[in-house]
Amino acid sequence: MADKTNSSRQARSSRAVEPKRHKITMVVLLIILVLCAVAFTPIGEKITQGLDLQGGVSVIMSASKPDGSEVSAEEMSQATAIVENRVNSLGASEATVQKSGATSILVQIPGATNPEEALETIGRTGFLEFVDIDVINALNVGTPNLELKQGTYEAFMTGGNIENVSIGQESQGSPYYAVNLRLDAEGSQIFKQKTAELAPLKGRIAIVLDGVINSAPTVQNVIPDGRVSITGGYSVEGAQQMKTILDSGSLPVNLNYSESRVVGPTLGQASLQQGLIAIAVGFAIVIIYLFIFYQGLGILTMGSLAVFAIVYLGILAALSQMGVFALSLPGIAGIVLTIGMAADSSILVLERFREELRMGHSIKTAAANGARHGIGTSIDADIVSLVSALSLFFIAVGPVKGFGLTLALGILCDIVTMFLFKLPALNLLAHFAIPKHPKFWGIASDVAEGKEKKMDIRRSRRA
Amino acid sequence: MRSHFKREIPFMSVRYIMFAISAILLVLSIVGIAYKGLNFGIEFQGGTSIDFRNTAAVSTEEMRTILAEQGEQAAVIQTTLSEDNPGFLVRTTETDPNAASALAKAVSDKLELPEDSYTVTTIGPGWGADVTKSSLIAFMVAIGLIIIWIAIRFEFKMSLTGILSLFHDLLILVGVYAWTGRDVTPNVIAALLTIMGYSLYDTVVVFHRINENAKNAEFAKNKTFLEIANKSLNEVFVRTINTSLTSLVPVLAMLFFGGETLKDFAFALSLGLILGSYSSIGIATPLYSIWKSIEPEWKKVAQRLENKQKKQEKNLGTHV
Repeated sequence: MADKTNSSRQARSSRAVEPKRHKITMVVLLIILVLCAVAFTPIGEKITQGLDLQGGVSVIMSASKPDGSEVSAEEMSQATAIVENRVNSLGASEATVQKSGATSILVQIPGATNPEEALETIGRTGFLEFVDIDVINALNVGTPNLELKQGTYEAFMTGGNIENVSIGQESQGSPYYAVNLRLDAEGSQIFKQKTAELAPLKGRIAIVLDGVINSAPTVQNVIPDGRVSITGGYSVEGAQQMKTILDSGSLPVNLNYSESRVVGPTLGQASLQQGLIAIAVGFAIVIIYLFIFYQGLGILTMGSLAVFAIVYLGILAALSQMGVFALSLPGIAGIVLTIGMAADSSILVLERFREELRMGHSIKTAAANGARHGIGTSIDADIVSLVSALSLFFIAVGPVKGFGLTLALGILCDIVTMFLFKLPALNLLAHFAIPKHPKFWGIASDVAEGKEKKMDIRRSRRA
Repeated sequence: MRSHFKREIPFMSVRYIMFAISAILLVLSIVGIAYKGLNFGIEFQGGTSIDFRNTAAVSTEEMRTILAEQGEQAAVIQTTLSEDNPGFLVRTTETDPNAASALAKAVSDKLELPEDSYTVTTIGPGWGADVTKSSLIAFMVAIGLIIIWIAIRFEFKMSLTGILSLFHDLLILVGVYAWTGRDVTPNVIAALLTIMGYSLYDTVVVFHRINENAKNAEFAKNKTFLEIANKSLNEVFVRTINTSLTSLVPVLAMLFFGGETLKDFAFALSLGLILGSYSSIGIATPLYSIWKSIEPEWKKVAQRLENKQKKQEKNLGTHV
């Protein structure tokens, strides 16, 4: 008796859901799919590839203070800017330098052709010294790039005394640029003394970076206030380069390599190809298996996977365009895993649908109930996976973040697919297609079993 | 194809066999972990890993000699195979990227490999500690949240037995890593974490069905809790199999076609999926059912059914 009232109530509720509403949902879905398709074509350009797929050099540098004290945000920005300058000097146009976390800097140089040079340049220690020419008078100081032997000279000041470096035109309208330094109190004092000594003699001060004479400007006047201006017919680029060198020398923190990955460009593409093959093979076998298992209803699972894939690619492309996503190998692993999850939610819905049929419910009622219960269970499952994915994305460090991100996005796409495709599609099929050809849709045996069960109930009630 | 089996599979009758198998696996794992220990990847302790591809006919010995010539005596050398092309995975304790990349270039030049046939990853010593810490925190947070969620959403006995089976899976997985000597990398941890959540959920789906059926008076009539559990397992068995297969197949594709990174994920994922499905049926459900069976209410039912059966046997006896 209880069973009967239950089923008639369910039948009413399913009648209340008009097929019209499902049709509207499908139209909305179609619009979304078209938008996604536009967003991700052509796919190779629209989805950014990470360094491990593109090939190149990817480096994480961690900053620390020599005395072990905390690195301030300001020092980090300064250090980031310096690293950026070094990277720019390599002439790699697509290189990116960004702060990552509180004390790390992420450098990515796609397609770097000479990783050894790149690593060397980025990691240069940058110890800057100012040396009185007289101290090294034995050498021909007019020649830049001259390497000095350690211990053969003594600097009167180091880069540590520089507070700020900027560039500007030598004078209004001048085509030449000057590099302006501001020294701290101690530096100003030293410089005042030194320039007072050298100015009358037109002496020169050698600027030495990591033991190499970079330039040796002549002292024109006494500089009393720590505001030094280096001129000498520099172009903007020349001045900028000089600034980089001075900046490097006044780096407020120590930068150490934390992680460095050098990937050959063709190797990256080979990895991508392997990943794509895995995805394609996985998709194909899952679709074939579900077709064999669910027969006509396999169309529904295939449709779900297709909708899932299109929405997924659309989101990845949109995020790539916004510059917040780049596909990496761990990301591909995340995608592969979501194929199974997307298939799972179809299986849950279809299993529940067929079970409802075996309980003797009509096809329409079974579809409505199956979709509702199946989706409920799928969402529970998705939440558990989402927790793992988001924990990885937010807490873990390193490439594994990419796995968390694609996994989380895949789960979201799965949920979107449930409501916008599986639910309306199963209901519409139950209204218009399945009752006409139960055999084709693979549910004939379930319907037969349901009928038998109903008969049993009726018989037992009569008795 | 049919969505259910005509004949009920007697999972519960073989529960002690399944317990025994798990016990053996657990003991083996503990022995493996204690005796062989775990190999942690360079991400956790710092060091360099160089992935040489397409090395054609170069032998491990040649590789070792060349590395030694470059001053790298203690490198760990593994052979790899990607898309039928042989390669090497070389690991050293070098933490300076400049030296590591110079070494890779030197070896590649020596072997006359094509221009960019290698990948060099170098992890600094301090970074490894950061990676370890953050992986651990991510793991704890995720497992903690999942346990809390399951505990809130479901009955206490379900949460506890579900979590027990989760640790069963974890321990065996760690044991496999100890015995095979595979590197435990952050990728492995990420993969495990994901699968743990996934399989815990699989368990909950079964529990859900058991409870639904236990509350259904008509269904539960004349059945002990174990019988109800067994019937419920059978009802969701096809779903479990299908779900596991559709998740496993793409992951296996990754294991066969992928390079080192993808294989890293795929190995842990496939093991985790298999163990997770097994433990839902073999560990979590029997444990939960046994625990429920000793509740007074279900004990009474079992007692009554047993008496009934004895009576029937007696009656049969008198007839003969």
